[in-house]
Amino acid sequence: MIAAYLRSIARKFLGRTQIERELAEELESHVQLRADALERGGLDRAEAERRARIEFGSHVRFKEECREAMGGNAIDQGIQDVRFSLRALRKSPGFSLVAVITLALGIGATVATFSVVNTVLLRPFAFNHPEKLLWMYSQRSDNPRTNFSLPEYCDYRDQTTSFEGLAGVASFNPSFSDSGPPERVQGVRMSASSFAILGVRPFLGRTLIAEDDRNGARGVVLISYGLWSRRYARDPGVIGRSVNLNGETREIVGVLPASFALPNLDTEIVVPLQPDADPRRTVRNSFNFLRMVGRLRPDVTAQQAHAELEAIRQNLQRQYPGIYTGKVEITLVPLTEEIVGNIKSVLLTIFCAAGAVLLVGCVNLAGISLSRAAARQRELAVRTALGATRGQLTRLLLTESFLLALAGGALGMLLEVWGQRALLRLVPTDLPRIESFSIDWTVLLFAGALIFFAAIACGLTPAWLLSRSDLRDALVSNGRGSTGGGWQSRLRTWLVSGQIALALVLVANAGLLLRSFVRLSSEQPGFESSDVQTIRFSLPQTGYDDVATIVHFYDQLHSRAAAINGIKSEALISILPLAPKSISFIHFTRPDRPPARPEDTPSTNYRIVTPDYFRAMGIPLLDGRNFTESDDAEHPPVAMISTIVAKNHFPDRSPIGQRILVDDTDGDPRSVEIVGIVGPVKQTNLETPAKADIYLPLRQMPKDGVPWLRNSAYWVVKTSGEVAGVERLLRGSIQNIDPNVAIGAVRPMSEAVAAALAARRFSLFLVGSFAAAALFLAAAGLYGVIAYGIQQRNREIGVRLALGATRATILGMIFKEGAVLLVGGIIAGFAIALALARLVASQMYGVNEYDPFSFAVVGLILSVILFLACGIAARRAMNIDPIVSLRSE
Amino acid sequence: MNEEAELLPGTLDLLILKAVSLGPLHGYAVLSRIEQISGQRLFVEQGALYPALFRLVRQGLLKTEWGKSENNRRAKFYELTAKGRKRLQEETDWWKRSAAAVTAALAARPQQA
Repeated sequence: MIAAYLRSIARKFLGRTQIERELAEELESHVQLRADALERGGLDRAEAERRARIEFGSHVRFKEECREAMGGNAIDQGIQDVRFSLRALRKSPGFSLVAVITLALGIGATVATFSVVNTVLLRPFAFNHPEKLLWMYSQRSDNPRTNFSLPEYCDYRDQTTSFEGLAGVASFNPSFSDSGPPERVQGVRMSASSFAILGVRPFLGRTLIAEDDRNGARGVVLISYGLWSRRYARDPGVIGRSVNLNGETREIVGVLPASFALPNLDTEIVVPLQPDADPRRTVRNSFNFLRMVGRLRPDVTAQQAHAELEAIRQNLQRQYPGIYTGKVEITLVPLTEEIVGNIKSVLLTIFCAAGAVLLVGCVNLAGISLSRAAARQRELAVRTALGATRGQLTRLLLTESFLLALAGGALGMLLEVWGQRALLRLVPTDLPRIESFSIDWTVLLFAGALIFFAAIACGLTPAWLLSRSDLRDALVSNGRGSTGGGWQSRLRTWLVSGQIALALVLVANAGLLLRSFVRLSSEQPGFESSDVQTIRFSLPQTGYDDVATIVHFYDQLHSRAAAINGIKSEALISILPLAPKSISFIHFTRPDRPPARPEDTPSTNYRIVTPDYFRAMGIPLLDGRNFTESDDAEHPPVAMISTIVAKNHFPDRSPIGQRILVDDTDGDPRSVEIVGIVGPVKQTNLETPAKADIYLPLRQMPKDGVPWLRNSAYWVVKTSGEVAGVERLLRGSIQNIDPNVAIGAVRPMSEAVAAALAARRFSLFLVGSFAAAALFLAAAGLYGVIAYGIQQRNREIGVRLALGATRATILGMIFKEGAVLLVGGIIAGFAIALALARLVASQMYGVNEYDPFSFAVVGLILSVILFLACGIAARRAMNIDPIVSLRSE
Repeated sequence: MNEEAELLPGTLDLLILKAVSLGPLHGYAVLSRIEQISGQRLFVEQGALYPALFRLVRQGLLKTEWGKSENNRRAKFYELTAKGRKRLQEETDWWKRSAAAVTAALAARPQQA
């Protein structure tokens, strides 16, 4: 039906010129026929035509009438409505401006947050049928998410029947160079089958093929869309170019799509895993460095797959006793969940907050239009008396709000387009998939829907009011508009209470986020971040084959640093604190207290350091001694532990001088002596409490760790205050020793701490701003309804004053009205906030989502601000002069 | 006495339908036909004719077709549809009934009581 209607309009619109032409022709033919008749009556032709035209009168006027008679001119009527609405809006520029700005901010904010949600959560993943993809971890008794070793991966890959394929993924951060200086990039090694399993299509060139994994295959590399843009300015000719990765020549064969992302791994480059070329292929108890991802076969459920993998795991444990102890289960997580799971609730909270602001804004405008409609009742009544139908008036009001929404929406979209750079700066950089951000059709469509929604939300209530009220009364009652006023004011009351409720929900959420943020930022990470510079680097593949070469490199660095003014201390470490994507831990045992079961073997974070590390990072030495330069291969192996290890594993005696067995080689565990205890450090993020740490001196590191340390290490430099050009000096020192060292990120440690808070800062900032906006709008709404009520009751107040009421009584009366709205709104708001609290629980830190203190403070702040609005409105009432107000009618 | 009668409100549509029912006519001919069949007593305002015609077309009572007039001018001809014919019958009946009623009422004389 609607379709048919639209078609008929379309036909009329398209056929318009045709109809116009016919109309003109018909009228002209009429004139000619009349002239013919007059000519027959004896006039000459010219005179006959002149007479005929005069008789017929103005073409234009008839044409207008004819057009109307032809009817169905929705478009003409629409244009007329628009013209009329524009005139009406121009007559009240204040209202129009406020409305457009409110809607622009509301729509702009909602669209902006939606565009982020769209990019991160809604856009299709780069994978084909991502719901079938499972990401796998090896679960240990003390850590649910650890990796698999290469032989282990191969066994699962070869034995499982639940998956179409099982891919192994490992992080790989090589130095990358072509013509320019080497750069440290962060990428992955993936089995060549991965891309077939994930169903990823290349953006350019090809992805990996089975051939690439063959032993001795030509070296290839895929680069990410980001690296391609950054380093090659999106040059399509990059395919086929040779680059150098860790001293190895590889050919770029493809560019990955922008939306390609893996959980907790950067994918600037992808190289084939080549499992059979890896010396660890046959070493059963080798390093666990692989994560697995598989595509479920269509007829297999995740539970069945889990059961099968578990069976394989238990078999492997029986087959290789003692090798896989501690691996207690296999954890399967949907891949997409693993990529965006953490950020989902944060983004949705922000999005809902923005939507709520828009809603509060719309309600505000609806309230204002309601008052305007009431004030315009007389005008509308006159229109009705002159023949306008109720439908036409409703259409008129809706057209007005539609125009406002359209203007607001257009402005909001401009804000979004102009502000997208700022938006992206605000977004935490580790937000998954954000690099593929763009404003696409989904966003535009969403914006369109919002505009439509806003128009309806703002325009429908006044229109509805209109349909209820008797306009003739409005005419008779001389514009005092008492009829419909009851409805109108009751409706406004409800709307304002609703606004207060929504504002309270937002402010309460912001309050909880703020408390969490404050708690978290006051957490001690266990180190001093001020005046600490960090440089991540990787050593070239050749020339650094044993511990001695790495030690030699560091010794040179050490002596160069000594020559730089302002450096207090400096050290190397394998993994810096607060590096969420890097993990390294080992198992250890106390020889005098072997674990009851092999799987109970405790694990600890594992760090290789040089002696000055603790001094540079301000990590306190609590007992024993620090490492020294003489803790080298010639001396007995030593270790330092954090208080957590001491507390958990040496409750009975001081650990100083005790020996533990650390499993940090591909061979058997080795014995080291504990010489010192340092304070606990938060290694992965600020939220997780500090775990056990064990530190080993660089000079005594096992040979098996060389490739790992060569691949990625950090130089930590503590300066005395700001040192000018420190970054350049530090880079220069490294490059002077060996220009082939690839330097990665150089950043102050304080930045790493800030980055650990970035996601929370982002959501706090946005939700906070939205809450403030909602609060402001709610206050304005309350002010509006109170002020309007006073204005309507001007006469009543005048009478009361004249009859001896004190100003205080009047004020009390007004505040009582405000209080009713406020209390109603706050109760409703608390109810909603408590009902929704569970949804934000995951974003809380150190504060309960039902935190009574936060709620009390929020309620108080809201009340104070709203009473203030009430008070300002009431001041108007105080200025009423009884004489004037009584005379005015 | 002036023979010209004022066109009663609401009767224009009826007269147009009647005029056209006698055969397809173009706009100007509708005017002449009404004058003719009313014995030169009813005259239709030229400007009022076309909106009325379009309204009747829109209501589906008339259909149109371009053709040649008697003196060979291109003109749009109006023709009664089946619906129009039915409407004409109804309107005619209604008119007769009302006219008879009004006539009867006007014929009343004071009753001798």
